[in-house]
This record gives sequence, structure tokens and C-alpha cells, in this order.
Amino acid sequence: MSFLSLKFALFVVAGLIAFHLAPGRFRRHILLALSYAFYISASALYALLLFGSTLAAYVAARLIEKSPGEDRKLRVTVATVTILGLVLAGFKSAGWLVEIVRALWGTGGSDAALLIIIPLGLSFYLFKLVGYILDVYWTNVPAEHDFVSFALYVAFFPQMVCGPIQRAGDFLPQLETLGQPDPAEMTAGLRRILFGLFKKFAIADPLAGLVTGMYSDPSAYSSLELLLGTYCFALQLYADFSGITDIALGLGKLFGLKGPENFRMPFFATDIQDFWRRWHISLSSWLADYLFTPLRMALRNFGEIGLALALFINMVAIGLWHGATWAFVAFGAINGVYMVVSVLTTKKRKAFFRDRPHLSRMRAVAGPLLTLHLIAFALIFFRAGELSQAFEYIEHLVPVDATGGIALFRLDWAQLGLSPLKFLVILGCAVCMEGSHWVSLQPNWRARFLEAPRPLRWGLYYASILVLAVLGSLDTQKFIYAQF
Amino acid sequence: MSPVEIHQKLRDVFRDVFDDPLLEITDSTTAADVEDWDSLTHINLIVAAEKTYAVSFTTKEVKALSNVGDFIRLIASRAK
Repeated sequence: MSFLSLKFALFVVAGLIAFHLAPGRFRRHILLALSYAFYISASALYALLLFGSTLAAYVAARLIEKSPGEDRKLRVTVATVTILGLVLAGFKSAGWLVEIVRALWGTGGSDAALLIIIPLGLSFYLFKLVGYILDVYWTNVPAEHDFVSFALYVAFFPQMVCGPIQRAGDFLPQLETLGQPDPAEMTAGLRRILFGLFKKFAIADPLAGLVTGMYSDPSAYSSLELLLGTYCFALQLYADFSGITDIALGLGKLFGLKGPENFRMPFFATDIQDFWRRWHISLSSWLADYLFTPLRMALRNFGEIGLALALFINMVAIGLWHGATWAFVAFGAINGVYMVVSVLTTKKRKAFFRDRPHLSRMRAVAGPLLTLHLIAFALIFFRAGELSQAFEYIEHLVPVDATGGIALFRLDWAQLGLSPLKFLVILGCAVCMEGSHWVSLQPNWRARFLEAPRPLRWGLYYASILVLAVLGSLDTQKFIYAQF
Repeated sequence: MSPVEIHQKLRDVFRDVFDDPLLEITDSTTAADVEDWDSLTHINLIVAAEKTYAVSFTTKEVKALSNVGDFIRLIASRAK
């Protein structure tokens, strides 16, 4: 059931009516039933996997808490994390398994491919479970005794498709006071959903055709067009992913539950470290806490080599989280190199610019521009899916003798499938999106907007809906992160 | 080593790690109060503290810290 379908809208409305009519003590049960109904609509079989993983983590956490000795706690933690990790790794390397099956059984492999479909939200809910187990072992959170609450934490449907990966210590306490949602919060939720739809329909989807065309056949485009394509994909991915995150957070608010923010204007990051503090925050902070920290602790006696290794492995893990393909490994490894260079030169760069205030002012502009280009380059591997496709794209992007007779600086709008006017409108929408993000991050401006006259605020909402109606297409693209 | 001595030495460790000679810390200081205190600098703090006090911490102990006060108590329980 897609978040963008009428069926889903009806499902949410029916769910909200049941949730609001139910006595307080049954609200968790209703949300859990809704979450499982949503999951079963995707796959009843994989709902069993979701339930089984939840039950295993629930029991394991209770065991960790009750075990008297440190050794036993550690054994249960390691065993549970290993099992959950193997489930994730098994499904994530399904592509490679299918290739093996195809090689062994020829065309019959295509039947096997159908069997190995990655369960909905697997990467998101297994990361919740692993994080929870480690938090219980580290005594950061107590083991949850109420199974309904715990199962709801894992299966909460707004976060199932694309996250964010909320921590147990952030979600579970909210269930203790789960009452009638505050009308102001519900309004904020609806506003957030509208904003998410705006990003999806006014920015991400209109750019999808252009990007797909370029990655399907880079040889048909000029260097300038392919350069434009790299920016367009970065913008498409950002609008698409932050859009569905807005929808997830907005849906949560309708049911009185707050989720974590996943983005903080990443393309204004001053350097690579700053970028990864602003992009897919729930994943990068998860890996920082549960992978980088133990790894860095284990390698702390190896000086800068240990630090570089821990950083590099962490970034490759970010790549692999998206799927076991060489292109995602390359995406992670490129970011790993960026990160190692950035971290190892931090102090030197700081000292260099401290002594040169005139250069420091230029840095405020040059830093974000350089970061944007480094990330846009790494995203070529993310989008291409296969290494050979990424190299083909780069080969035609770099203005050397590989353009096949196409002028380097040609800008053929018909070939791009967009009119200059539509492109400008999309850019205008992107400026509005970042303007809104900026306002939301400034407490004074945010309050000023919320206190603005009603006609002004509602005028803005209707204008957004109008843009959706004009730019939106019935041929909706799937959310990019729904595949992970 | 008294908590006051630990505090003073730890302040110097913080100043060195965050490259800020004026940085002050209290028992209630958390990562939210210090700019650039992220998972990376957190471990740098741990490593620097281990060297300064000639002690060793486990990942579990490090993950259980919630503020500077916790850190000082952990060091006090180890340092001679």
C-alpha cells in the first residue's frame, strides 16, 4: 500500500477515527493492529518475519536485563545482534544469491529472483532492534516489559517504509502518555504531510524522467547536460527522501507520536563531516553510536591509522546498508576517503583559517560549494546501481574526447524532457523548500509564521496544493528509499 | 585523586580536544552544550582521558556516560 495511494489515505482516516474513539488504554493496541494490517497488505509471510524478530529481541532484552553475570549478558547480546545481522545480510545480498542461482540453473533463476524480495522496511526495523538490544546491554534504556508497546515501536507503520530509525528510548516513553493528540500537533502533522507531498510532486518527481534518461544512456547527452543531471539527482534524492520523512513524521503527529528529524539543510554543510551530521541523520547517528564507537574503541591504540580505519569502515557500512552491490560499496568508500581526509586535517584547517580571516570569509561560501560537488560526485555511484554504469556516466561527464560528436556545452531541453520554464519552476520550488527549512530552524521566524494572519498561512497552503496539482503527475514515482 | 583535581585535569583535556582554550565544563555539561561534541570527538575525549589518568574504559562504560559528572565519577573509580 503506497503512501501516495487513495487506499492508504482511507486507511489512515479509518485508523484515526478508531484511534480517537477508543479509550486511552486501547490506543496502543489499535496502532499496533493498524501497523500490522499495513505490513500484511505488503506481505503476510514477511509479517511473520517482523513478528519473529520482534519477539526474539523482546525476549533477548529481558534476558540481558535479568542475567546476573556480565558474561551471560554479553553472550546474549552478541548472539542476538549476530542473528539479526545475518537476517539483514542474507536479504541484502539477495541480488548476489540470485546471480548464483541463475548461473547454476540458467533461466530458472528468474523464479528464484521472485522468491528473494527484500521484506518491506527490513533495514529500518532491524536497525531499530539491534540498536535497542545494544542500548539495553549498555544500560542506556531498560528492557521493555510491555510486549504491545515494544511490538508497536518496531512496526509503527509511518516509519516502516523509509524510517526514520527512531531510538527505543525516544519512542517508548511517549507511549506511556499516549492520549488524545493535541489539535495544534495534529495541524502541524497535516502541514508536514502537505510539505512532504510538495517536495515529492513539485521537485522530486518532475526531475525523475530527466535523471532516468541520463543514467540509461549517458552517451546521448553532452557534458553540460550530464553535469546538470548530477545536480538534479542530488536534488531529486533529497526532495524525495526528506519528502517521505515529512509524511512519516506528519502521520506520527496525527497519532500523537513525535519522530526524529532526518535532515537539516544538508547541501549547506560546511564540510563532509558536517554533511553527514545533516543527511539521513537517523542512520548516520545510529552507525556512529552502534558501529563507529565500538570500532573506534577497539582500534584506539592504533593512533591515526585506527581512526582512519574506523571512519572508513563506518562509511562503507553506510553504503552497504543501501544494498550489497559494488556501486553502493563505492559510494560508501568514496565518502570514507572524504571523511578520513576531512577528519585528519580538521585541526590544521582550523589553524590555517584562524590566521587568515580574509580567506575564512571565502570559506563560508567555498566550503558548502565544494562539499556539494563532492557529494554529487559520490551520488553518481549511488544512482547508477552498477559500477560499469557509473563509470560510463563519468566518462561522458568529463569533457574529454568521449562525447560521440555531441557539443560539450549543448543544452537540448527537448532531449532533457523539460522546458526551461518548468525547470525554473522546479528550481523555484527547491528555493521555497530550503527557505521553509531555514524558517523552521529559526525559533523566532517559526513563531512569526505560525502567528501570521490566517489568510496568509492558508493562502500558502492552497498555493502549495495548486503547485502540486499543476506539477504533479498521475504517473507517481515510487519513493527512492522504499527499496531499502 | 580528588574530584576537584580530576575536574581540573579533565577541563584541560576538553580544551585540548576541542581546541578551545577558554572552554569551561561542569558536572551537568553534556554533548549538547559543547559545539563539535559528536561521536568522533567523544571517543577522542575518552582516549585523551585514558592517557591522562593512565586508566582504561570499556565501550559499555563509555556508552553509559550521560554528562561530565558521570565521566568524573568513572575516572575517580579507576584513577589512583
